[in-house]
Amino acid sequence: MENIQPGAATLALPPILDLTAAAALLEEFLTQRGQPLRVNAGDVQRLGGQCLQVLLAARAAWAADEQALHLDDCSEEFLAALDLLGVASKKLTYCKEMSS
Amino acid sequence: MDPMAAIRETFFQECEEQLAELEAGLILMESGTAEAETVNAVFRAVHSIKGGAGIFALDALVRFAHVFETALDQVRSGTLAAGAAVLNLLLRAADVLADLVRAARENGTVDEARTAALVVEFTQISNLGHEPPLTPKPAPKALAPAPAWLISFTPASALYAKANETALLLRELRRLGPIEVALDATHLPELSELDPEGAYLTWNITLEADCTEQAIRNVFEFVEDDCQLNITCATPAEPALKPGDVITGDNGFSFEFFPPPVFDDEEASAAPKAEPEHHEPPPALTAKQNPVEAMAAKAESAAAVSATIRVDLDRVDRMIDLVGELVINEAMLSQRVLEAGIARASGVAMALEELEHLTREIQDSVMAIRAQPVRSVFQRMPRLVREVAAQTGKQARLVTEGEGTEVDKTVIERIADPLTHMIRNAIDHGLESPEKRLAAGKPAEGIVRLSALHRSGRIVLEVADDGAGINRARVKEKALENGLIAPDAALTDDEIDNLIFLPGFSTASTVSDISGRGVGMDVVRQSVVALGGRISISSRPGLGSTFTLSLPLTLAVLDGMVVSARGHTLIIPLGAIVETLKPKAADVFPLDGEINVIRLRGGYVPMVDVAASLGYCDEFVEPDQSVALLVEGEGGVRAVLLVDAIHGQRQVVIKSLEANYRAVPGIAAATVMGDGRVALILDVDAVVKTTRSELSRPELSLAEAR
Repeated sequence: MENIQPGAATLALPPILDLTAAAALLEEFLTQRGQPLRVNAGDVQRLGGQCLQVLLAARAAWAADEQALHLDDCSEEFLAALDLLGVASKKLTYCKEMSS
Repeated sequence: MDPMAAIRETFFQECEEQLAELEAGLILMESGTAEAETVNAVFRAVHSIKGGAGIFALDALVRFAHVFETALDQVRSGTLAAGAAVLNLLLRAADVLADLVRAARENGTVDEARTAALVVEFTQISNLGHEPPLTPKPAPKALAPAPAWLISFTPASALYAKANETALLLRELRRLGPIEVALDATHLPELSELDPEGAYLTWNITLEADCTEQAIRNVFEFVEDDCQLNITCATPAEPALKPGDVITGDNGFSFEFFPPPVFDDEEASAAPKAEPEHHEPPPALTAKQNPVEAMAAKAESAAAVSATIRVDLDRVDRMIDLVGELVINEAMLSQRVLEAGIARASGVAMALEELEHLTREIQDSVMAIRAQPVRSVFQRMPRLVREVAAQTGKQARLVTEGEGTEVDKTVIERIADPLTHMIRNAIDHGLESPEKRLAAGKPAEGIVRLSALHRSGRIVLEVADDGAGINRARVKEKALENGLIAPDAALTDDEIDNLIFLPGFSTASTVSDISGRGVGMDVVRQSVVALGGRISISSRPGLGSTFTLSLPLTLAVLDGMVVSARGHTLIIPLGAIVETLKPKAADVFPLDGEINVIRLRGGYVPMVDVAASLGYCDEFVEPDQSVALLVEGEGGVRAVLLVDAIHGQRQVVIKSLEANYRAVPGIAAATVMGDGRVALILDVDAVVKTTRSELSRPELSLAEAR
């Protein structure tokens, strides 16, 4: 968390992350790309496979860009869904190397 | 015709058959009822077309068929799972292949862009299929307390599109026992290339539960077609005995355990599945299967060739004409014998009777040559449904029943157009948009049901949709607008539904290029009536409409009742007659003007004096001086026909009056009787309908006269 400035861009995830939310979520990530980002998952009630794809792809993209991606304030439901889908929450974040 | 052209023509005829088989096979695969053999048949069809096209140097066709065949081969060998997306692609490829064949036949052109786009899609899915296995083969656990199931689950995008969700399935699975989930995201594309509604992930699940494979499959029951699912048992049922183990008993007798044969397994499984083992050695596997299959295919096609012959239709038609003449001649001979006063029990009369049986049998057999299953027409429809659904943005699925129902070839040729029109209509006007359907609590995908069956000597075709049904208020309003009915007309629901058959009627507010040119159902009805058929509609609001077509099985012969009216011999089709009766004067009641009704078992049925309605005479016959036939016309409308006498029942050969003379209202056709005289065949529907409309709905008959 130390490498993200308090004023960095944030993205609050909507409560329902199902099929219908995937396109909008992808759009959000694409517009925020190229800068450190804090993703707030505090409101998430439901997570579907397709939004998970977006989150995973976003993490990969941020890693490729060497930008930090953080996940804040995960709701119980979000963590449970990640566990069910076989994804550790830290797999969705990326810390930039201090040296870079 | 030079020999090469003749061979070329045969090739194209065979292509049509192969295409039909291809389409039928793909539809079986789509509906999930395919067997392993179906995939082979589909593959063979494309392969044969490719082979033939190569001989005639039809390069475009060969190239596309090759790409198509390659993909099918992957499906066959299990390297490519035939999920919904793949099948959709294969079906579209079948359409393009049909276009290419047609273009090659007529030296026409095809939509190059469409072909090229499909080739690209094929390359994409083929590459997917060739990539290393999604599931690394799991190492079997040595000894697990409970049997562990290894489940590899790869949803296709269709799974999500149908509102299913991986998380829910996993939750279901967890009810069976503790699960361990590992996500395989290696196929996830770059963020910028990600399709938010695509599907890229594979879940590898280890389930520790003492349950059957079926129990696990049940969890995935509703998504089976939209995902790739592999279930393997990691621990053998008897962990102590591994393949290769040998038990030796006290008496020196020993058992050796062999690994279970893999190929039997694969052949036993009905649907083509991508088992993990199949990913690794596809070349060896196909090489092993190919020679055997090729031989089987050859043997099969050889058998098919010897079992059928191709006959020019003209020859069959000529034979039918001749048999028709034979029937007439036979009737004449009977008549002469009768006139000569030869006793019924005499040898001549008996021989004649046998001749009569024989003639009838010959006629039936000749008719059977012309009879063809309606499959050939039905098979064109799935493509139509796909195209119309795509144009209208609706989701539709065609369900066909009774494809094997046989009917005369001329009838088949002439029902294709009306059926096409009715199916277009069913999708364009009948089915609602997916949103509206979901809002009404129906599945987004509408169903159009096309069925055929034999009923009392006629073929009945039904086109049913599960859409919104006929909007009666709108139909009535439209009919008023177009001046088809009087403003004060009181119509029953049924009558309103039937308004759509009137000329110049269309309910669609906007005219689309699919249907709704305002000529639709009117033209359909005309062509059906021209075939001696009837069409009716029944509709239930919110539940859909059903169009029912009833057609004669053949246009060549007819079983009829020979009657006389004022010295004229007439034939009434037997199919229309319900019963005959002798009317009593006390049961006849005059209704306003010229119509009488007869009391029949508590109900009243209008009476028609056949001679008067055809204009043979002006005055009406006394009901108690005549014989009455209760007939049923289109839509179950009944009437009683009055004639002077009934002479008997006979099979008559239909000769078109329209082709030889001109159309006469009230008369369907003509025939030649045994005495050489021409008798007219009564058009029961027309006669019944005129009375009906005269009787109760003057406004309707007025509208129809326009």
